[in-house]
Amino acid sequence: MSDSQALIKVNNLSSAYGERKVLFDIDLEVKQGEILVVMGGSGSGKSTLLRNMLGLMMPSQGEILFNGKDICKVNQAELAKLRQSMGVAFQGGALLSSLSVGDNIKLPLRQHTDLDEKTISIMARLKLELMNLAEYEDLMPSELSGGMLKRAGLARAVIMDPKILFFDEPSAGLDPVTSVELDQLILDLREAMNMTIIVVTHELESAFKIADRIAVLFDGKLVTIGSVEHIKACSDERVVNLINRKPRINPLDADKYLSRLTKGS
Amino acid sequence: MLAQIERLGATTITRFEDLGRMGIFLSRVFSSIFSRPFGFRDLLKQIAFIGASSMPIILLSGLFTGMVLALQFYAVMVDFGAVELMGAAVSKSLVQELGPVMTALMVIARVGSATCAEIAIMRNEQQFDALTCMAISPYRFIMVPRLLAAIISLPILTSIYNLIGIFGGYLVGVYLKGLSGMAYMQTIENSITWSDLKMTFIKSIIFAVILIWIAMAKGFFVHLEKGVSGAEAVGKVTTKAVVASAITMLFADYIVSSFLI
Amino acid sequence: MSFDCSDYKQYKRLHLSGEVDLHNSPDVRRCLLDILNRKKSVIVDFSDLTYIDSSGMATLVEGLNIANKMNLTLTIVGAKDAPLQVLQLTRLNQVFHIVESLEDIEE
Repeated sequence: MSDSQALIKVNNLSSAYGERKVLFDIDLEVKQGEILVVMGGSGSGKSTLLRNMLGLMMPSQGEILFNGKDICKVNQAELAKLRQSMGVAFQGGALLSSLSVGDNIKLPLRQHTDLDEKTISIMARLKLELMNLAEYEDLMPSELSGGMLKRAGLARAVIMDPKILFFDEPSAGLDPVTSVELDQLILDLREAMNMTIIVVTHELESAFKIADRIAVLFDGKLVTIGSVEHIKACSDERVVNLINRKPRINPLDADKYLSRLTKGS
Repeated sequence: MLAQIERLGATTITRFEDLGRMGIFLSRVFSSIFSRPFGFRDLLKQIAFIGASSMPIILLSGLFTGMVLALQFYAVMVDFGAVELMGAAVSKSLVQELGPVMTALMVIARVGSATCAEIAIMRNEQQFDALTCMAISPYRFIMVPRLLAAIISLPILTSIYNLIGIFGGYLVGVYLKGLSGMAYMQTIENSITWSDLKMTFIKSIIFAVILIWIAMAKGFFVHLEKGVSGAEAVGKVTTKAVVASAITMLFADYIVSSFLI
Repeated sequence: MSFDCSDYKQYKRLHLSGEVDLHNSPDVRRCLLDILNRKKSVIVDFSDLTYIDSSGMATLVEGLNIANKMNLTLTIVGAKDAPLQVLQLTRLNQVFHIVESLEDIEE
């Protein structure tokens, strides 16, 4: 299924927003052809990790290597070339509001290739059909529902058949049926196009279904990384709570509870 | 006491950071003007938005301003027996000052606010992140067409404002106050100089850059506004953009006038 | 990627080898359109094709459409592995006439 070359290596990554530290010493690897799911609750730092890997923000420490090259150090031209072999599907689709769905999907092709307009048109429609969005090609983003925007964003992300696909919260805001279809689509894309796919999510069912490996983040630290069985068998309390969806319980101090309730009276 | 000084220091640092960001933003937009591919279609769309659809408001406000100017000047000049100079007074005030300033204010109100809000929403929806990840420069793709469209449109709008203002003055002076139409036009010809026209042109270009730069920059950095997010933040930066561009524009007006008058 | 164009019975056989992607699909397109313009039915030979991307697929779709309009045929021969998976994922395997080998093509 996948050969075990590391396509992406994250070494010692720490990241902060100004003074506020968000990621601490993250080490991970993404293997060629695998589907890696990055999981964690809100505030775990998974979005920050994604932003760093995409080159949207600079780490405070550490390096991010794509095929051995540190993206924090390459020049603009190399970064641009690398970005053309990467596709990113953002949470709300992130379509440009002034372009139709079709024009949004065709945008990378029109900007970066010399392909004939007829070829571009069929390529866009192939992807729209794949996402069940064929009838919406001429609509504007403002006329689409959340689920449709996501699928349109995914269509744009894969229009150039990228080697690496990043997917930010695929299931958020989707109904269960569409979510299942999307999971299957992610698996199909990897099979047919040999894509390496990194998914950031907090949805357990999807993660267990599609992941080759899962990386669990908690409070900015990488707790564990491994196969689905490894995660399920993990004894770390934070992982167990995540899997069993236990809410965090603060032990109750009865006296303090009463005084909080009656403060001021 | 110490806390107040700390707060003053923090605010000052924030202001400087803000200015610095905006300065870097402007230099990036300028340096992207010559990047390929050039978006002609986008430029035309923006000219249509900034220029063409501002016409109604420019025509109306220009007309009324010219009419009011004529009324005001008449009231003063009639005591000095100088009413034949009405044409010169109206046209000089418009060309040197009111034309560029009022046009810029109208455009700030309409285009500045809309552009700032549009760009702020794009930021909130991660559209700039998406462009960056597609190796498309947001500066070249989004900002440059708007900057160039403003620079092209504002001198044209200002000229139209001046002309219709002069016409408004003509209506009041000739049809309301009974002045000679010929005299009105003649004094204009005698008083407007090339340096007046240069001034109106230079001012409109400078105002164009100021207003579009501030509108775009404030929207672009909406995610850095502390304490607000989402729609509330969009509203906040839009207001800030309108106020800041108006004040900066008026300040620039003084500086340019002091050099050129 | 390399391709050659030869005659096979009354067809023109477009033999693709290697990988068809964004960079070379326009060359394939030019060749395919040229063949169709000369009113010849096409066999697209996939036997040595290891990879084809959406631009390649789009080129073949455009070719099929033109062929249909001109009452010509476009047949895919020897699709396997990744290219076959792409045909299946896009459901184009139900649109194109696909055969196992050259011998299976009717006169």
